[in-house]
Amino acid sequence: MPSPGAGTAGGSGGSSPWAGTALIGTLVRFGRELRSSGMAVGSGDLTTYAAALAQLDPSDLVDVYWAGRTVLVTRRDDIAIYDRVFRSFFLGASDPFTAMLLMKAGGPTATSAAELVVPATDLAPNEHEGEQAVLGLMASDAQTLRHKSFAACTPSELAAVRRIMARIRLTPPRRRTRRTAPARDGTTLDLRRMIRESMRAHGEPAELYWRARKARLRPLILILDVSGSMADYSRNLLQFAYSAKRAAAKVEVFCFGTRLTRITRELDHRRPDDALAHAASTVFDWEGGTRIGSSLDSFVRDWGRRGLCRGGIVVICSDGLDRGDPAVLAAAMERLARLSHKIVWVNPHKGVDLAFRPSTLGMMVAEPHIDLLMPGHDLSSLEELASLLPALN
Amino acid sequence: MDRPDTIADLTAALRQGGYLADRGLATALFVSIGLHRPVLLEGEVGVGKTEVAKVLASIFGRQLIRLQCYEGIDTSQALYEWDYARQMLHIRALSEQQIADSDAVDKLFGPKFLLERPLLEAVRAGDRAVLLIDEVDRADDEFEAFLLEVLSDFQLSIPEIGTIKADSPPLVVLTSNRTRELHDALKRRCLYHWIGYPAAEREVEIVLLKEPGVGEALTRKVVSAVHRLRELDLAKPPGVAETIDWARALSFLGATELDAAAAGETLGAVVKERDDLELVLDNLADITASA
Repeated sequence: MPSPGAGTAGGSGGSSPWAGTALIGTLVRFGRELRSSGMAVGSGDLTTYAAALAQLDPSDLVDVYWAGRTVLVTRRDDIAIYDRVFRSFFLGASDPFTAMLLMKAGGPTATSAAELVVPATDLAPNEHEGEQAVLGLMASDAQTLRHKSFAACTPSELAAVRRIMARIRLTPPRRRTRRTAPARDGTTLDLRRMIRESMRAHGEPAELYWRARKARLRPLILILDVSGSMADYSRNLLQFAYSAKRAAAKVEVFCFGTRLTRITRELDHRRPDDALAHAASTVFDWEGGTRIGSSLDSFVRDWGRRGLCRGGIVVICSDGLDRGDPAVLAAAMERLARLSHKIVWVNPHKGVDLAFRPSTLGMMVAEPHIDLLMPGHDLSSLEELASLLPALN
Repeated sequence: MDRPDTIADLTAALRQGGYLADRGLATALFVSIGLHRPVLLEGEVGVGKTEVAKVLASIFGRQLIRLQCYEGIDTSQALYEWDYARQMLHIRALSEQQIADSDAVDKLFGPKFLLERPLLEAVRAGDRAVLLIDEVDRADDEFEAFLLEVLSDFQLSIPEIGTIKADSPPLVVLTSNRTRELHDALKRRCLYHWIGYPAAEREVEIVLLKEPGVGEALTRKVVSAVHRLRELDLAKPPGVAETIDWARALSFLGATELDAAAAGETLGAVVKERDDLELVLDNLADITASA
């Protein structure tokens, strides 16, 4: 690296090693500040940051801003955090001159302010657990549990259900990929292997070796309604999806109430129940109610269009009680059907009624685009879902 | 130009090459060149992510090596492959003439029979190349792990030949459309920059730079119409590439003004979804209204 010392480029007279150390100290403190705001900044990143600044002019705040942004930020979502921390760390937020400087950088303006507005409403979904617990029937027999609606289960029964559920494998259907693997008989010749083998016979290809296209699991996308009456069912479905993750399938999880949020990343380091409870607090506005249409619409726009559900199985868990415009729901479902491979709708209110006809407006609008409508209100119906899923090819 | 001395130099050079980079992008590229780090560009479709690599190659006089990623891409398409047909013929020739000696096999797996694919080519070319790894989010995640290995020390090993290492690494640009989240480990190896839609003034400049034949008045109208389209909540908002296409289409048809009629005829250049088209047609008068 043909880089001069950290200070020589700048006019701030920092060519002495002492000034360099002071700069490093500042950067390290800045890094700590970012880390405490939830960004993953390793010491390796800080080394790169310092090396980057050595190429630039550390006395120019605009350089400091952009160098840090390109080195330390690795996700678009983190840009807002970075902007906020940068502003409070280097600018003290109120100094008008430096604020102007930052404006020049084309840096943080409205986005970081908007990012802070997060309504924190906790519509505790387990409020009505208490009323169920009064029944003293302790039927822990697995067979009874199997057909008992989740809503009617006591907490201890639910725990038993969970234990049974953990043993069921949820396997999404497979699809063929473009990658190939050696196979007994296949579509293309394994030339590499044939050459190797034929060398033993002085270049005489004695046997044909084949490659066939591999199969892999389709991605599974769960879109869960976490509004009051649906939360219990969604939670069980989510637990279920966990087993699919164990089967090495790609699983994406979204929650919605009045709006949609993605909880896939949270699930990596939270327990499913906690992640869902946390999500429930962020997806509701004060007025409540469920907006399936607009939630699915934002899913299609923000995630589906970029290819997240392409070729995948989308499982929606909801009762279809939509407070929004049915036309929005219809349009969103139509697009979703075109973007994904199959749509499974789990509606716990379907129950055991075999002749169930969707009665809510939302369900009627969505029905033409649904490939499989399942009840999912008790263990046996989830088992049925697990057995039907691999066949959805 | 070998290597820019300041960010301003780089920005000017990019402008000469027909690319207007803002301060953030220029900084990211400058640091990437200085520290020999790959740079990962993310952003909406059509904001010029791929273009950056092409222009970099042309201003530095380097060779552009492009690896287009897709689902199922594997090492034989990204790295190298043996030319099996030629190997087979060679073996036959050897055995017919009875001249197979001890190093015949070594020759068989020598450079003569090796088909270079983009990554190997880039490692061989070293700093004479710009390596563009396009739409890396389309490849599957196993491929990412493999890329990680290549990008961290620009070194490849081919069992039959040995290890090939770049003396000085090529300039690497990765692009992603965010169809899925890339693995953190890969991102850690790269510098990151998000390219957003440019501001109206800059977009006008870009269009004029790319299509000097289009009048400035028309360009301004097209750009402001496109900005209104982006506000319209479309399923696929138009990118800068679409703006340029639209201006080009209008000027090709001899239009000097953007009115509802001219816009309606050329809408196919900017709006590419049926649902969007209906929405736009309903609001066409507002969109094309005085710039």
